[in-house]
Amino acid sequence: MSSNESSAVLTNPSALWHKACTAVNRFKAWVALDGGNLSPGQTLAVKYFCVAVVLFFAQLLFGLLAALQFIFPGFLYEFLDFSVNRMVHINAMVVWMLYGFIGCIYWLLEDESGTEIVGLKWGNLAFLILTAAVALVVLVYILVQIGSGTDSSLWFINEGREYIEAPRWADIGIVAVMLVFAYNVVATFNKGKWSGIAGVLTLDLVALAGLYVAGMFYMTNITHEQYWWWWVIHLWVEATWEVLVGVIMAWSLMKLLGVRRKIVQTWLYIEVALMFGSGILGLGHHYFWIGTPEYWLTIGGFFSALEPIPLVAMVVHAVYDAGAHAFKNSNHPALAWIIAHAFGNFFGAGVWGFMHTLPQINLYTHGTQWSASHGHLAFFGAYATINIAFFYLAIQHWRGGVWMAGDSQNAWRWKWALGLLNAGVLGMTIALLIAGYEQSFIERAVEGSTWGGYFSAQNHPSFQNAMVWRLIWGLVTFAGLGLLIWDLLTIGKGETRKAQVIEPH
Amino acid sequence: MFFSSALIILAGACYALLFAWSKVNSKRFIKLLAHLSYFVLVIAVVELTQAANFSGYWLLVSIIMVIGYFFAPISIWHLCVKTHDDHTITTRGGD
Repeated sequence: MSSNESSAVLTNPSALWHKACTAVNRFKAWVALDGGNLSPGQTLAVKYFCVAVVLFFAQLLFGLLAALQFIFPGFLYEFLDFSVNRMVHINAMVVWMLYGFIGCIYWLLEDESGTEIVGLKWGNLAFLILTAAVALVVLVYILVQIGSGTDSSLWFINEGREYIEAPRWADIGIVAVMLVFAYNVVATFNKGKWSGIAGVLTLDLVALAGLYVAGMFYMTNITHEQYWWWWVIHLWVEATWEVLVGVIMAWSLMKLLGVRRKIVQTWLYIEVALMFGSGILGLGHHYFWIGTPEYWLTIGGFFSALEPIPLVAMVVHAVYDAGAHAFKNSNHPALAWIIAHAFGNFFGAGVWGFMHTLPQINLYTHGTQWSASHGHLAFFGAYATINIAFFYLAIQHWRGGVWMAGDSQNAWRWKWALGLLNAGVLGMTIALLIAGYEQSFIERAVEGSTWGGYFSAQNHPSFQNAMVWRLIWGLVTFAGLGLLIWDLLTIGKGETRKAQVIEPH
Repeated sequence: MFFSSALIILAGACYALLFAWSKVNSKRFIKLLAHLSYFVLVIAVVELTQAANFSGYWLLVSIIMVIGYFFAPISIWHLCVKTHDDHTITTRGGD
């Protein structure tokens, strides 16, 4: 574009709009996706998926900025502070995963219920409201970074609760959107047919909307405040999301591998029972040091020791299935990401979780980079992977059910994206583990959790080198995301072979 | 402490994996490896118990971990067989 054309575009809004439309049309022509392959519910689902990918990008971008600020504390100081970058990094992660899960449910709803979605226009409206609200909340985070905390700031700027900083108006909006989502799901199953998956999903959506409310009221006592806050962080994110993932996984395994409904539903019930048996009171491991009664040490320790049982069940069942069936599948990238999910969930939630969950250990690790190490691997392994697997299922259908098994075109892209993303997250996890170990040792064990101990640990070469390595592996993760987006936009383009039909067995 | 607790989960998963594999493939060395993994798990529990100074109630947690990790894969295997009741596993190998 010449300089004259550029200035004409800048001074003339209609020219700018025309340019933007042309760029969008060129992009649509390049990706060559046919919306005719999608049902109305699936069309709404892919809107959620698209925003999820944008937020995934934002999560990594702000995470990299925060990682840079660990090494260069003056970088963007008073322009885009570390506290803001970290907050947007974590909030973007929470929201993109939620967008992914909601998209997955809208995607499978018509197929599972056997009818069209009831109240879809409300679902579309809720999507627009939620997306506008998310954009506005992030904009306010960035534009109003510091200031006094008042009732009005709590309602309109930042609620001040770590990880769920969204102002109260947005909280109310999130619950309203969850209720519309729950209405779509329940009314659709009611009109069509109910199933075991439908029942578990419906009960989970009640908890999904209900538990979020626990983080919406304000208490003057910090212990009471933290007590309820953990209901959102642990029970909302770790319990209701896990069940949601179980539902998505159950439906995906039927479609991807042809596993019989009876089997996936039985195991969905077993998973819910095991998870509720151990996970609900496993909440106690967050109550160790917030001023709650001492019995939480016992409850939290015992039930945390039980939490890996569902993961052991997963290992045994995987071997059983490998021995009993010769599975075929029609979507190799999706299956590869589901395998990554199994490993990531086991190591991130199981090994990294139990490594520091007993109170005798947690005394030394609480609030160190050890938590960040666990958080990175567990969130990626348990949630990001299953969303990405579903994106591949969706794009295959969107392309008209094309071949995505062995001998696909440009398969190197999804393989490299898978490798870079997993290696990047694992690298960050190990770097943060080293930093956390050093903090536990120097700050907690040697210097007894003193203020001086905190700074000794922060300035130790092991910690600082670990932060550099975290940034390097963060860049690897970012490169993996770039490749993943490119692959999702282009995979199956020009493919003429139809996907193999997988029969239940 | 950190690594003994991590080892409990890793050895527990190895034991579960090898136990299930020994049901699919009846070679004796797989069963031996499963028992070896379980032995590592017991050592890791003992190490954690000593390093974290477990006493009283906490000793019960250690005992439950030792017993629970032994029986969990066996129970889950039975669940697998019952939930796939019209499918049978063909055992390969043999000794």
